[in-house]
Amino acid sequence: MRSLSPVDPRPDLWTRSLWSAAIAAVVLVVLMVLPAVLSLYWLRLATNVLMLAVVAQGINAMAGFIGYPAFGNVVFFGIGAYGTGIAVTAGIGLVSALAFGAIPAATLALLAGPLLLRLRGHYFAIATLGLNEVVSSLASNLSGLTGGAAGLSLPLSSGIATDVAHRTYLAFVALFLASIVLGIVLRDSRFGYGCRAIRANEEAAEATGVSTLRVKAAAWAVSALLTALAGGLYARWVGFIEPSLVFDMAISVKAFVIFLLGGAGTVFGPLIGSLLVESATTLAWSHLLKLHLMVLGVTIMLIVLVVPDGVQGFMLRLWPALKTRLLGRPRC
Amino acid sequence: MQLVAQIILNGMLLGGLYACMALGFSIVWGVMNVVNLAYGSMIMLGAYVSWLAVLQLGLPFAVAPPTAAAVLFCLGYILQRILLNRLAERSVFMTLIFTFGLNMALINLNLLLFSADVRSLPDVFTRTSLSIGELSAPWSRVIIFGAGIAMTGALHVLLNFTRLGNTIKATSFDPGAARLSGIDVPHVFALTFAIGGAVAGITGSLVAASYSFSPFAGESYTMKSFVVVVLGGLGSVPGAIIGGIMLGIVENLASLLLDSGYRDAIGFALLLVVLVARPRGLLGKRFFAEVKL
Amino acid sequence: MLNVRGLSAGHGGLTVIRSLDIAIADGEWLALLGPVGAGKSTLLAALAGLLPARRGEILLGGEPVEALPPHVRLRRGLALVPEGRRLFPGMTVRENLEAGSHTVDASADRRRNLDQVYALFPVLAERARQLAGTLSGGEQQMCAIGRALMASPRLLLIDEPTLGLAPLVVQTVFAKLSVLRQQGLTLLTVEQNVPLALAHADRAYVMGSGAIVMEGPARALLHDPQLPGRFLGR
Repeated sequence: MRSLSPVDPRPDLWTRSLWSAAIAAVVLVVLMVLPAVLSLYWLRLATNVLMLAVVAQGINAMAGFIGYPAFGNVVFFGIGAYGTGIAVTAGIGLVSALAFGAIPAATLALLAGPLLLRLRGHYFAIATLGLNEVVSSLASNLSGLTGGAAGLSLPLSSGIATDVAHRTYLAFVALFLASIVLGIVLRDSRFGYGCRAIRANEEAAEATGVSTLRVKAAAWAVSALLTALAGGLYARWVGFIEPSLVFDMAISVKAFVIFLLGGAGTVFGPLIGSLLVESATTLAWSHLLKLHLMVLGVTIMLIVLVVPDGVQGFMLRLWPALKTRLLGRPRC
Repeated sequence: MQLVAQIILNGMLLGGLYACMALGFSIVWGVMNVVNLAYGSMIMLGAYVSWLAVLQLGLPFAVAPPTAAAVLFCLGYILQRILLNRLAERSVFMTLIFTFGLNMALINLNLLLFSADVRSLPDVFTRTSLSIGELSAPWSRVIIFGAGIAMTGALHVLLNFTRLGNTIKATSFDPGAARLSGIDVPHVFALTFAIGGAVAGITGSLVAASYSFSPFAGESYTMKSFVVVVLGGLGSVPGAIIGGIMLGIVENLASLLLDSGYRDAIGFALLLVVLVARPRGLLGKRFFAEVKL
Repeated sequence: MLNVRGLSAGHGGLTVIRSLDIAIADGEWLALLGPVGAGKSTLLAALAGLLPARRGEILLGGEPVEALPPHVRLRRGLALVPEGRRLFPGMTVRENLEAGSHTVDASADRRRNLDQVYALFPVLAERARQLAGTLSGGEQQMCAIGRALMASPRLLLIDEPTLGLAPLVVQTVFAKLSVLRQQGLTLLTVEQNVPLALAHADRAYVMGSGAIVMEGPARALLHDPQLPGRFLGR
């Protein structure tokens, strides 16, 4: 098992939460200012970065906190997208429509959780992939409801393009903020403590009275909720969804890579990771079209080989070496 | 009634192909706890190598499987030795993501070298069928089924009756204790991955001869391999055949009752059921699943 | 047979043993005693090559081996039976033993070694086709020792051979080790059972906090009033 980020002693808990809240406030201000200074193209990228950061936070809750590799978590993205999409097409307002995606997703996690969360490692990962395939197949085949494999078109948003883009962006900022709050709660709360105990040593956690199955299922439900909201907003944003798009395993993998880059169990890691990954993806796509899969694939492999504990972990490892170089060896 | 019997036979024969693919996947997972998401692309690479050998170099098809096996054996050995061995101590999702990245790279490689066109090797097997009573079995499928049985048998013999097999099994249970017995663990891992590659190569050449293939077609092979391995049980070589046949039959029967679009989903639904009810699978060995989880 | 000079080793950022000197003569039985955490298992791991030697040298039969990987040391005659046995649970007794002879190239030699192990441990011959994971504790220990013997070692390191075993079985294990000693094998055992270890061994070292704090002939140590104190680190 990889070691966790250090667990702070309880007295410093409030300090850490306050610090994170302060940083979040700064980040929020920056994010709010961006629409005024960015062109629509860059704003679109920023929206994408935020969306992926949210999905990655969902992965973080699973892989980073309870240590379960939910490779098929994209299933909740798809459920969110279709639930919201169908509701919006039926004329329901966005905020309520989001619930149509989020609630089924969370319900699925709560129902499937107790069954699947008894599996570990690869078996759990594959089970979630299987779940994704089954739901994706349902979406493809229940054409009456979902438009089938041909996809579902949502009615256009009203208003001029710039306003719509700004509104979409702000919606994602709000969701992103929610994910940050979740991150802080996970990191600093008793619930989060229980999660990390499970990740470190599940048997030991059981022995100390942590009801592991319930904690795991709750974590997955929260992760599902967050991911489904992202999917719902995404459906409204792009206006057209199909099963191969919103149940695509690549979304999960991207989120995983972002989570890796940002560092497991951290609050702002998903944002850092998402910035890096999306920049790389956009560069690859625009300049190296024929090779972009190769570049991304090689980049992913390199990241796993070189930076397994994320950028922050990488920095932490680098710092002592740098310090020694700059300040000389300490004498014992 | 005859229709059902024919469908079951078709399913069984399809299971032969599934077993071929799952064997390589299973041995790498079982021995090294590596789930190779690039496996399907390795099969495709085997198909392309065969295509090169037969259609570009004009060689007879009989040469294709050994050639593809050899190429993928070497590729597999190098990949494991140089790259994957570094991930040996890491967690499960690291190798999953790594092999996903590898998959992307391999797909792009195939795209660059061979373009996205769908290809196949025509006229390798006769189009005639074997008659079994009132049922008919296309020869091409029978040959693939036979290949599946043969490879399963060969691997079974290798693992249980040879020194190399003993070495591989020991390493799969406890690499540290294996080192103490003088086993060169990185080499054994690389060899195992290479064997998986060779199986992928042979499967690829069979696929090229009986179906069509393209750089993106590998995905479904990887996914199906999951299902077969879980059904048959990790750590069991015969399990691949059993799991493959089961999946083949279930898929074919299901398409009688349900929309054809649900065909793939049925396999995954079955996977979920097995994982919840009996994660060890049908023939999963004792001490295996516990160690590997 | 074995000469260790100035050996330092550890794991992670920790140095567990510092500047250790050890000597074992051919055919000797050396017991290594000490409380938990004294570094005994670390020492054995470093001798076998599982841990790198940060400093110092290890001479096996006069040849330096501290830079060699475990499988090469095994070929030179140094075998380790690890703590907890670590058999291959899903393989049969016979397959476990065969795994041990990986470094023996001639099949005639492998066959001969197997016969010798079966002769020494008849219970293994009886249970040859049984899965190692289903053996009793004592049988597992004998299988683990047998596995190490399959490599024709000159020096056998054994880490906690009697841990978790019933008293009767403990006696049996030590009796078998005595037989091996009589056959000329050099032994180094790490053992919690002090009286038993000192009753069988020729010499003993007591370790504490990564260093040797006491040494001498086993019989003398057994009656030495300072032993309990040194053992507990006073």
